[in-house]
Amino acid sequence: MSIREDLSRVSVRRSMILLASGALIGLAIAGYGLFTSKGSRSRGVPPEAVALVNQRLILRSDFMTQTQSEFSVPFAQATAEQRRKVLGDMINEELLMQRGLEMDLPSYDPEVRNALVAGVELEVTADVLAQKPTPEHLRAYYEQHKDKYSSEGTMRLRDLLVKTDGSVEARRELALQAVTALRKGESVDAVMKRFGLADSGRFMEAGHVNTDNIFQFAVRAKVSDALYNAILPLQGGQVSDPIVESDGVHLVVMVDRTLPVPQTFEEASDRVWKDVTNEALDKVRAANLAYLRSRAEIVVAPDNAAVPGETP
Amino acid sequence: MIVAFGGMGLWLHRQQVAAELLRTEPARILSDSRLLHEAVRIGQPLYQRHCVTCHGTNLEGSAPRGVPNLARNAWLYGNDPIGVERTILYGIRSGHPKARNVTDMPAMVRTGQLTREDAHDVVEFLQQLAGKPHDEAAALRGRSVYYDKGNCHDCHARDAKGVADYGTPALTGPVYLYGGDRDSLYKSVLDGRHGECPAWINVLTPLQIRALALYLVSAPRP
Repeated sequence: MSIREDLSRVSVRRSMILLASGALIGLAIAGYGLFTSKGSRSRGVPPEAVALVNQRLILRSDFMTQTQSEFSVPFAQATAEQRRKVLGDMINEELLMQRGLEMDLPSYDPEVRNALVAGVELEVTADVLAQKPTPEHLRAYYEQHKDKYSSEGTMRLRDLLVKTDGSVEARRELALQAVTALRKGESVDAVMKRFGLADSGRFMEAGHVNTDNIFQFAVRAKVSDALYNAILPLQGGQVSDPIVESDGVHLVVMVDRTLPVPQTFEEASDRVWKDVTNEALDKVRAANLAYLRSRAEIVVAPDNAAVPGETP
Repeated sequence: MIVAFGGMGLWLHRQQVAAELLRTEPARILSDSRLLHEAVRIGQPLYQRHCVTCHGTNLEGSAPRGVPNLARNAWLYGNDPIGVERTILYGIRSGHPKARNVTDMPAMVRTGQLTREDAHDVVEFLQQLAGKPHDEAAALRGRSVYYDKGNCHDCHARDAKGVADYGTPALTGPVYLYGGDRDSLYKSVLDGRHGECPAWINVLTPLQIRALALYLVSAPRP
């Protein structure tokens, strides 16, 4: 029987051998691809790349720029040795970067983590940072937020507290008498002594009561809304009515005060610019975080949430 | 069939030329008329589509917007095609981490580094450098602002011709980035400048970016 006739004859055994061989080869290729990092590599380097490192491109453009800046020569004049060194360094860097990702470095190294967070933030806010607000926009913002733009005022004040025991009413009554005495011109020290008042301790400087000028924003930061609202209308030499707070009954003596002076648009333009940019940045950051949260699965232990059932 | 084969042949040829354009050093392409022709064929329409709004129909730029006049070779970062390609890839102050953003023109007056009088004086000094009418006494004071108080020469160079490494423009004219009149120069010192160019790396392909860079460098100048 000739070979031709033999090949045209149906042979179950031969078919099975061919099928098994095909399956084995297929499995081997698939296994190689699955269990080695080189399984799915592409053989050629795309023309825009100078190298592929685990399938990641090193762009020719980056390579040429790097060579020029490292050796301060036009790329065409860089020697083969210089090019080899730059490419070697870039490949090493890529390998180390990839290893860092494999090791999940950002999850436990605070520096890498911070750099990554900062990098993402920068990406997100890049457009805002690159944009220049128009003069019309800046002026409109200034007009809408005029109250914010003034020189910083200062206050020299005494925040006094009724120290004596007794009901709130009794202490309030005592404070009223002290206020009357102060308004009649009696000195602060004399009134403190006569009515048993003490400094509240909110305005201290190196262990002593601060009797110097304090910026208005600093005063605002140290007192409650109610107390600040009582302080705000006071001019130098005036005394507030008694104010009942959780720590006792207060009265405030405004020894001296420099009021904030409103700034013109021109004077405030730098601050306006900063505020406009910051507001835009806040919006972009918030939108980005909202988007990330919307697609994330966040589960907070009920006992650790500030409000049970609410994601912080 | 013939048309199909013809089309496929053309496509293959284009692919081959494209790969050659990317693999050949840009400086060599400039002296290779065949490759340069191909680069211009690809780059010119891209310029018209993506760049013309800022850079102008004839590469003339826009002084009010601080877009350099490339027609008169006012290249902020030099006209080396590799550098131009990098600018297109990553932009200038575009927010891309690889963008060109080493320097920024600070708002010298707004930040209190210079007074308004200093700014006027340094403008007179720049007028003098450009050979324009100027106030002698103010220019003399401006000279000391340029070299001492303001440290302007650190970025703009001692001869005020600009430094391509930093992307600082020449201040000696006749071509200025934001205009060479007194008001424009004064405004630069007062408020600073912060020009930008977007990064095109995620918009155009590497081939298109290479072609665009070569077109910009090689386009005929008036």
